[in-house]
Amino acid sequence: MTQPNRIEGGQVDRSKEVKFTFNGKNMRGYAGDTLASALLANGQRLVGRSFKYHRPRGILTCGSEEPNALVQLRSGAHQEPNTRATVTELFDGLTATSQNHRGSLEHDLMAVTDLLAPFLSAGFYYKTFMWPKAFWEKLYEPMIRKSAGLGSLSMQDDPDSYDKGFLHCDLLVIGAGPAGLSAALAAGRSGARVILADEDFTPGGRLNAETLEIDGMGGADWAAQALAELAAMDNVRVMTRTTVYGAYDHGIYGALERCTDHLASSDGKPRQILWRIYSKRAVLAAGSTERPIAFGNNDRPGIMLAGAVRAYVNRFGVTPGQQVAVFTNNDDGWRTAADLAAKGVEVTNIIDTRDAPAVCDVPGARHIRNAAVMDTVGRKGLKSVTLTSGQVIPADCLAVSGGWNPNVHLTCHQRGRPEWRDDISAFVPGRDLPVGMAVAGAANGAMTLAAALTEGRDVANAQIKDLGFTASRKTAPKAEDEPRDCAPMWHVGESKNRAWVDQQNDVTVKDIKQSYREGFRSVEHLKRYTTLGMATDQGKTANIPALAIMAECTGKSIPETGTTIFRPPYTPIPLGALGGRARGKDFRPYRLTPSHDWASKNGATFVEVGNWLRAQWYARPGEQGWRDSVDREVVMTRNSVGICDVTTLGKIDIQGKDAADFLNVVYANAFGKLPVGKVRYGLMLREDGICYDDGTTARMGENHFVMTTTTANAVLVFRRMEFVRQCLCPDMDVHLISTTDGWAQFAVAGPNARNLLRKVVDEDHDISNEAFPFMACGEVTVCGGTPARLFRISFSGELAYEIAVPARYGNAMIEVLMKAGEEFDAVPYGTEALGVMRIEKGHAAGNELNGQTTALNLGLGGMVSAKKDCIGKTLAQRPEMNRDDAIRLVGFRPVDRSLKLIAGSHFINQDEEAVMANDQGWMTSVAYSPSLGHSIGLGFIKSGHERMGEIVRAVSPIHDTEMDVEIVSAHFIDPEGERLRA
Amino acid sequence: MPEFTLISAPPLAGYDQSFDGVTLSAPADLAIVSIALPLGGEAAAENAISAAYGAALPAPGKSVLSKDGKARLVRLSPDAAFVIFTHATPDVEPHVAARLKGDAYTTDQTDVWTGLEIAGPRARTALERICPLDISPQTFVEGDAARTIMEHLGVLIIRTGDDGFLLLSASSSAKSFLHAVETSIHNTA
Repeated sequence: MTQPNRIEGGQVDRSKEVKFTFNGKNMRGYAGDTLASALLANGQRLVGRSFKYHRPRGILTCGSEEPNALVQLRSGAHQEPNTRATVTELFDGLTATSQNHRGSLEHDLMAVTDLLAPFLSAGFYYKTFMWPKAFWEKLYEPMIRKSAGLGSLSMQDDPDSYDKGFLHCDLLVIGAGPAGLSAALAAGRSGARVILADEDFTPGGRLNAETLEIDGMGGADWAAQALAELAAMDNVRVMTRTTVYGAYDHGIYGALERCTDHLASSDGKPRQILWRIYSKRAVLAAGSTERPIAFGNNDRPGIMLAGAVRAYVNRFGVTPGQQVAVFTNNDDGWRTAADLAAKGVEVTNIIDTRDAPAVCDVPGARHIRNAAVMDTVGRKGLKSVTLTSGQVIPADCLAVSGGWNPNVHLTCHQRGRPEWRDDISAFVPGRDLPVGMAVAGAANGAMTLAAALTEGRDVANAQIKDLGFTASRKTAPKAEDEPRDCAPMWHVGESKNRAWVDQQNDVTVKDIKQSYREGFRSVEHLKRYTTLGMATDQGKTANIPALAIMAECTGKSIPETGTTIFRPPYTPIPLGALGGRARGKDFRPYRLTPSHDWASKNGATFVEVGNWLRAQWYARPGEQGWRDSVDREVVMTRNSVGICDVTTLGKIDIQGKDAADFLNVVYANAFGKLPVGKVRYGLMLREDGICYDDGTTARMGENHFVMTTTTANAVLVFRRMEFVRQCLCPDMDVHLISTTDGWAQFAVAGPNARNLLRKVVDEDHDISNEAFPFMACGEVTVCGGTPARLFRISFSGELAYEIAVPARYGNAMIEVLMKAGEEFDAVPYGTEALGVMRIEKGHAAGNELNGQTTALNLGLGGMVSAKKDCIGKTLAQRPEMNRDDAIRLVGFRPVDRSLKLIAGSHFINQDEEAVMANDQGWMTSVAYSPSLGHSIGLGFIKSGHERMGEIVRAVSPIHDTEMDVEIVSAHFIDPEGERLRA
Repeated sequence: MPEFTLISAPPLAGYDQSFDGVTLSAPADLAIVSIALPLGGEAAAENAISAAYGAALPAPGKSVLSKDGKARLVRLSPDAAFVIFTHATPDVEPHVAARLKGDAYTTDQTDVWTGLEIAGPRARTALERICPLDISPQTFVEGDAARTIMEHLGVLIIRTGDDGFLLLSASSSAKSFLHAVETSIHNTA
């Protein structure tokens, strides 16, 4: 098929024919077309069905404000719904389908909804479908969702990749229309670093759509020349296909660059990039958007905005109709008539709401003054329009102009409120702009070309002067000020039929009036009640007309009635772009322990601990499940020796003459007198007296300590200590640096731990019990001179050490330890066995240090030193935290030893009802103890330390379980600590 | 001879790749020692550093090469600096401590970090995708050093040449960091 509506001229490249399909129909266009211009060229006026009433809809605009022409692009996993045909760049092989119809686009079975319109007015879903209550979720909502709605997702993973990035500039120019180009040229010539971003693939803005001249040449040619000059400047970056969608704090802007949307394939490169642009100053030159006039049946395919109609003619060489009528309340509508007539398109009538003489001469067109369109005919495409006088005018295209609204959106992103300007009957940016932003051109109400060019230059110059640049003296480009008189008319009161205001969400003039009648006086309420402006176009063509109609209802002026403000994003941003690279295994970075390679070759199952991957257990052939592996690891460790990678614990190097005093501040217990070569367990409190973190700290030298923290709190503790150092104790000579990743650290635990280490630690270091007793530490060498640190500490309760070597030797170290341990049947153990052994030993961990428990609760009340002050000490003395019946950490075992304890169970006294008021405490940690042969638990219970041997009930309403448990010492294994001192 | 020996395996050892307009490599034998200036002893520490390296400790955010060009002094904050040089084994802290003669505190940072050198005319373009800082030639001049975040990972970035940068990030997440930088190079190729 040829392109029946293709005419001469335009910027499309006629040497590059492009094939595409719409609803399976083969069509042709040219490089430089949008999908919308190509559809119009092929005579396809009907492109979709409306959201609520399934009304046939066509193309209203030629830009990102389009409410109607939403299509589904591509197929299979690449399918993308709700894309605007008006900004979709045509490429060879593009497949597009229409949305929101059952059956074909031409014969949508859901069109019956339109007949039900009287029942579906504003807020219908708040009023109907309310009964029976249970039907809403199961029946009504799914039904409504199915019939309303837009395109559909592929339900497959998005095969494209996305990226993010960061850019910096002195001046960000948003929009490359006349004002933006003029601004970028001025700033670029001064030497400032400029980013010029434009959403179109051909920058120039309205210059591409108009026949206006600049500096004696066609506007589009001037734009191309300006871009060439900018492209040649090293200090200027021109970004096309890039929408600046949000203005954020401190001059930061969000922008979406569509890199490959105009190509058949992304070829392995990111499809879109979400940029964060750091600007020192910005010029918003976003232009303006034409507004429609509401009248009966104003949504038929073929009824378009006048500026869009001439854009299709001038830029794309496509006429939207063969018999065009113009309906306008302003001078600009006449430009459409004139441009079309100049291209040989038949313009039959110019219907002007004003009783005023012709703005210009339009050959062949009849000028009808003081008139308006009140209704139209043509179910799937416009056939005729009916004027208020009753006159019927045949037309297949009606170009409507209700005036132009400055695109103030980004000026509102930090709650700035636009202000009304009577002379142009539109809102312009208010005074409260985002920091560093200035507005120029039509976006600022400079609605004519000459004004926009001058303002772009002047505003940019003022912005860069602020930054210390010398503005170039070059004058602004020369152009005429075109006529722009406008007599606002928002809707045609005589219209009897439904007149659409928000075409995307199917909101009519009547809906707005009804919402007012029902008491919604605030614009924000109107919006939410009618859903006006809440579709993907965010009401770009609907908000101001709606506000004006609301103002009519209230009898107030528009500015008195209010305005809605805008939030990011300016146009929809795909979730894929917001996600960027963060998907699948790249969702976040991962940290590997130094023995990770060895562990993965030796049966380890890994568990995520923060960003770390830690070995959870090491399965051996024949083991039936994790419990088999964990039980074996515990038993073999307790019987001989086990090895566990504990590198993930935070390590902080602390040096300085006041290091010991500093530790006395951050730890509840005293460190001042800890001898060199010794380790001490330390407990940290929060300011409010609740326990924060625990760990061991070793004194490596008089002024040198090495602290360990829990894995989870490694960064937080470091940050907190820096705060204490810099802000609370600035007079102390103390210095902190993290060494967590620098050392591969292994726990070697079990009765044979020393025997094993003797084979690894170089002989000149005496690690006998006498020379290196429990809680000793020191620098040693291993394997013939490699520097290492040895700590005699025990989490398992066994004779145990932790040995640290530089991280690069970590993988080799576990191999050496395993090799050296062969004669002792050494096993590696994971975090599960580690957990079992610490529960057996009664050591607190994250479940007990849960941010709600005190030292007293943990049975560590005696650790809070009375002799010195520390963070949290004062507030830890509050009476409520020191009640006689405070919860205490104790052990629990099931009375029936065959039962499995459940963590999270709450304790209830024997003779009391299981209700909150009788809550005695809760079970924090449970494990099967292979050493004891039954389930054991740790938990907090009121006055637990005085209730040894008492039987209470452990109740879990979630699991619907209840069992009798006995309160016992938390130290299930070796309560006297003989093993760890052996 | 000891019964056992330890084999060194830094996470990115030997990595060295060339892409169109960018080279990316893990510098071999990178040694890092942190230096803390004692409170009240800053002048003595700075003198000791000058004497040891033949170069004055620069201002925070700057780095300089030692007189012999073999070490780079990076000032991280008023009281903290790194000295970065080449040494085969992670036992360098005592050497630096000896050169400073007790006038500053030192901590071995060698294995805490993993290093990547990125260089070439497209290095900045690649880094644009992960580096939030302005590293344009006029803003981030040679020798400049800054701490930042790339793909959630803490990074110390130092400009070491016209279009060359040394990136230091935590060694435990070295593979994720390499992946982040490689992806940036791929995405901008």
